[in-house]
Amino acid sequence: MSALTGAAAALLGVEDEARLARIAGRAGTLPPPARLGLRAGAGALEAVSRLTTGRSLDTLDAGRRDALCTLMPGRFTEAMKIPLLLAAGPELLPASPPAAGQARPDAELDCTPAAEWPACTTADAVVIGSGAGGAMAARTLARQGMRVVIVEEGRRFTAAEFRARPPLDRFLDLYRGGGATVALGRPPVLLPEGRAVGGTTVVNSGTCYRTPERVLRRWDVPADEFGAHLDEVERTLRVAPQPLGPLGRNGLLALAGAERLGWQAAPLRRNAPGCAGSSQCAAGCPRNAKYGVHLNALPQACAAGARIVTHAKAENILVERGRATGVRARRPDGSFLEILAPRVIVAAGATQTPLLLRRSGLGGHPELGRNMAVHPATTLAGRFAEPVVAWSGVMQSVGIEELHDDGILIEATAGPPGMTSFVPPGAGRALRRELAGADRLAVLGAMIADAPSGRVHGRRRAVVRYDLARQDAARLRRALLAMGRVLFAAGAEEVLTGLHHRPVARTLDELSAAITLAPAAGLHLAGFHLSGTARLGADPERAPVDTAGRLRGVAGVHVADASVLPGCPEVNPQLTVMAMALHVAAGIA
Amino acid sequence: MRRTTFAEVMEGTVRLDGADRPMRLELSADLPGVLRPWGDIEGALSGRVVVPGWADGPASGRLRVAPVAARRIRYTLEFTALDGRRLRLDGWKSATPRHPVRSMTFLPATVTDADGAVVGEARLRFRLRRDLARFLSGFRFPADPARDPMRPRWRGQPGRLEVWYTTLSDPATGTGVWLHHELVAPPDDGPAREHGWAAVFPPGERPVFGRYEGPLARLQGAAGEIAWDLRESGGGDPLYTFPRWAWERELLPAAQIVPKPTASYDGTVRFGDRVLNLEAAPGGTARIYGHGNARRWAWLHADLGDGDVCEIVTAVSTRPGLRHLPPLTFLRLRTGGREIAATLGLRATIGLPSWTVRGRVGGGRRIHVEVTQRRAETVSVDYADPGGAPAVCHNSERADVRIVLTRGGRVERHWRLEGTAHAEVGVR
Repeated sequence: MSALTGAAAALLGVEDEARLARIAGRAGTLPPPARLGLRAGAGALEAVSRLTTGRSLDTLDAGRRDALCTLMPGRFTEAMKIPLLLAAGPELLPASPPAAGQARPDAELDCTPAAEWPACTTADAVVIGSGAGGAMAARTLARQGMRVVIVEEGRRFTAAEFRARPPLDRFLDLYRGGGATVALGRPPVLLPEGRAVGGTTVVNSGTCYRTPERVLRRWDVPADEFGAHLDEVERTLRVAPQPLGPLGRNGLLALAGAERLGWQAAPLRRNAPGCAGSSQCAAGCPRNAKYGVHLNALPQACAAGARIVTHAKAENILVERGRATGVRARRPDGSFLEILAPRVIVAAGATQTPLLLRRSGLGGHPELGRNMAVHPATTLAGRFAEPVVAWSGVMQSVGIEELHDDGILIEATAGPPGMTSFVPPGAGRALRRELAGADRLAVLGAMIADAPSGRVHGRRRAVVRYDLARQDAARLRRALLAMGRVLFAAGAEEVLTGLHHRPVARTLDELSAAITLAPAAGLHLAGFHLSGTARLGADPERAPVDTAGRLRGVAGVHVADASVLPGCPEVNPQLTVMAMALHVAAGIA
Repeated sequence: MRRTTFAEVMEGTVRLDGADRPMRLELSADLPGVLRPWGDIEGALSGRVVVPGWADGPASGRLRVAPVAARRIRYTLEFTALDGRRLRLDGWKSATPRHPVRSMTFLPATVTDADGAVVGEARLRFRLRRDLARFLSGFRFPADPARDPMRPRWRGQPGRLEVWYTTLSDPATGTGVWLHHELVAPPDDGPAREHGWAAVFPPGERPVFGRYEGPLARLQGAAGEIAWDLRESGGGDPLYTFPRWAWERELLPAAQIVPKPTASYDGTVRFGDRVLNLEAAPGGTARIYGHGNARRWAWLHADLGDGDVCEIVTAVSTRPGLRHLPPLTFLRLRTGGREIAATLGLRATIGLPSWTVRGRVGGGRRIHVEVTQRRAETVSVDYADPGGAPAVCHNSERADVRIVLTRGGRVERHWRLEGTAHAEVGVR
């Protein structure tokens, strides 16, 4: 037994050696930072075991291991549990139910791996990134008759692959850095970003909110024109309210709780025509029901002549005398390809766009990389007497908008087993018991409109710093309490707070006390909606990008992703990002 | 302004239908300007694309060299494959500071067909060890044809006078010929006028003179009872009687140069009922461009044989103030492939039938030039400036000249031409 298997045995309460070996094997496939953290943590646990008991972890019995886990600081066990659960998920958690037949075939895409793409090519426009923003911009330009090439770092995934591999397996491939990107700060914030043809739209929950009017009023964009773009995006994505049929009990309980409170709630509007509730949105829809841009805007762009180069990481934008002349991209083997084009549309995502601009010598604007909003999300689980089986149904199903005017948006969200951002409490055998009873948990998530207090550093690797503003911590506490009210109203016996000092609350008062006592640094946060690192605006001092989406200080570079959003969109942002991309693309001549 | 030409050979492979085939590019580049590493210059590219069994034929296109400014040297070529398809090769070396040699010798390129579909991808390399010496020694910097001294200079400005004139001496008969073409742009935006004249100087006789109006090919034409049909060959390097900057920048009231100081002429010149059959008749073609004629001037063109030539212009400007100065003299003596140029230190005495130029020419040398235009063999022509002011030019292609070059008081070289020097004196 290694230190890693010892730590897995202690923290997850696993005895079976074959199982432990498989968990350790899977942990070896995690992204390097997670692997490194796991090894360091396992080493520390082993050292504590030898110091306190004089014996190695793997020679201890289960009772002593549990006791040792209680010795360790709560934050340590929480930090170790997330990667361990990812690695152990297939062993300890119920498998996702098999998906029903495909809703639609894979789309016709003109994808060429970078290794097969010539080193020297030309185009009328190069779009960096094939996600929400890039796909829309590429479609607009291709339909104008331009020769468009989309440079995508990730690869193409098909529904067949999604069906053939378990969700946890896919997860590591589908996210940048295996999903292990974390913003440094107190508390640290997990920042999952999709990396695939289709970008994050392949792995998002499919929730479609129009940009709220009050948000648009704060931005330097013409509201009427933006509304028309939103209409066009909704038509493209075939956005419709989620029918109740496949909603699942998680969503139904949220509706029931909200109804009892008299709160405004409804099934979410989604781009998932034909969704059967596989609850695997976050690891790619196995039925192609979720209608991401890889199924609509990208094939439409390809039909108009656009071409996609996959496995090509944009290294830098080529610039001559203040004018963009193309893009240099790295192939997996380390060689480069260059595409010369007079127009470069950057849609690499809010963390990568500032890095790319810096690598290109275009990072001079002092506000570039700053003003990052993450739309932080936190979760709360309620334990019910009857099985909920939250992983059966629509992953993100119901929106509770009672507090939306205060910047709090509650959504019933339950990922595939092991992949939800909710971490069950306890360690060792206690954690095993929690996992065994996971089918009785209903999970709600809440996102709050945050101050743009994050910042992306770096040129090659994004180092994100995000410090929760004081008023945002207060808003998060309010959101937790509101979710507790919904869960109790729906009939929860107790709620799991995710706070390590008070993991369980049986009444609203207990929850309130737990939340009030929790330090901001102890909150579990994830940021799914990063934005604002190259914000758009009329003031050249404050905004690196002008109101038409052109990067200031250089000709021919346009930014068309979430980076340009001038502030937190306060809703799931895919429609906003796509409409913004249409706005930016409309200004490209 | 000079061009840059060089030849480059690159070899490598081209991937066609999944199989690599050997490929060779033999290229000649012609860039408009002197190639500088930090510059950005684009010019013509021609040469040959060879892929055995697939393509072997001429190619032409463009080359852009900007290894620092754009970090790129881009080659675009069009060629025809053996199956008759018209193809285009587009590729560039991407200069990276981290791998300067590798990046500057490796050329990836994409071959596309007329529809833009990719046909193949080439990976070519310049073989440094084998070809560098030949590559570097093949660099040439020829003069730019755009700065051809024969090219017209007038660009529509009012008040300009542009002159081409050819003078020659028939070695068989001793007859001199003078062909003069000029363009006069009046100072008041009126239409420019082209006209000219010709004169033939048979030995010992009165010269024959005729005028013409309108544009005319320089070496074929007729004026009065004179008609000529000539071919010009050779000419030697241009002789900048006035300094080159003065000619190119047009900073002086007028300037004269001799684009072809030692040309030879074949053909016929008819005057009256006589025919002059010319065979390798020595002569030259000179140019004047400026605001008009001088107040007083004298000119000498003396072909000294063996490519040696002496050209003198001495003139007094019409400009207020300058007109009271002594004549300013420009002398160029080309001998043995070297040129002696002098302006300061020369004194001219303009007169008829003889005029002289004497003074220091540098290197401790002095020169003495004495020109004699016999009255009987001199023609007097009425000139008019662009503004209409008249002058009279006394010209002879049958002049005598004596040139003595001394050093330290001793005669170093001397020349004497009897009746084959070309000279004139202008007065008002």
